[in-house]
Amino acid sequence: MSGSLDDGGRLIRPYSLTRGRTRPSRSDFAMTSQVVAVPRMAPPTDLEPEHHAILEACAAPASVAELASRTGLPLGVLRILLSDLLDAGHVMVHESQWQRRRPDVHTLRTVLDRIRAL
Amino acid sequence: MSERVGAVPDALKILVAGGFGAGKTTLVSALSEVESLHTEEVMTAESVGVDDLDGVETKTTTTVALDFGRITLDEHTVIYMFGTPGQQRFSFMWEELAEGALGAIVLADTRRLEDCFDTIDFFEQREVPFVVAVNCFDGVRTHMPADVRIALDVDPNVPVMLCDARERESVKRVMIELVSHVLELELSGAG
Repeated sequence: MSGSLDDGGRLIRPYSLTRGRTRPSRSDFAMTSQVVAVPRMAPPTDLEPEHHAILEACAAPASVAELASRTGLPLGVLRILLSDLLDAGHVMVHESQWQRRRPDVHTLRTVLDRIRAL
Repeated sequence: MSERVGAVPDALKILVAGGFGAGKTTLVSALSEVESLHTEEVMTAESVGVDDLDGVETKTTTTVALDFGRITLDEHTVIYMFGTPGQQRFSFMWEELAEGALGAIVLADTRRLEDCFDTIDFFEQREVPFVVAVNCFDGVRTHMPADVRIALDVDPNVPVMLCDARERESVKRVMIELVSHVLELELSGAG
């Protein structure tokens, strides 16, 4: 499975996937937050296909933005489904330490060196 | 609280702003290690700020596309470059993207410099450091950076430079200029 939900997915209204919810139960999912699926022996059985597509897409750590790109889900919808997965313990999320503040001088210097070396 | 995950890189955000057709997606693709990624957000009537829904019952949502790229610097740090939609009505997305952003590249198209005005206002108000890159994609240097600086009325310390958004090395120079600028601001205590 490619993880894309594009095939015919647009025939239904985006928020029907979230049973009408337009806000996630939590606000951990910044665009650049890294999400990774919690490894399981067998895939959980109580989830919707979209949840499974997300879990597949974050088997290795991926940003929320990348997950939106890979699954084809609109960001708002993705965030709600990610909240479901987080609440149920199926994913872990890592918010960048630079999510809410600009990087410090040390980090900026490192970034500069790394970009020069690209 | 978030559960913490070990060995996951910290993300940095760089915004690429500019009017429609200024070359944002091209610039992001020039340096991204993956093909430019694409996501969209559904704007509901609420997020658009529409208070009069008369006549729009058939369509209360529309989608906003957001292109972005990724540059992995090392195992600790990854940069995401977001090509942000220029129109005012998408500002709800900008607020999130601007928070904690390392800085921004304002990509100027000299044929439509006025497209940058709102963007520059936005970054100035939120104290997001930025550089102005004049995209010379047609190879015509009709404007010199000094003229563009005057036309855009940006602070004297804001770097204004020419670039070719298609060329990796050119985009790299813009990025270096931006990070150097942010570093100088931080060191001078103005950040």
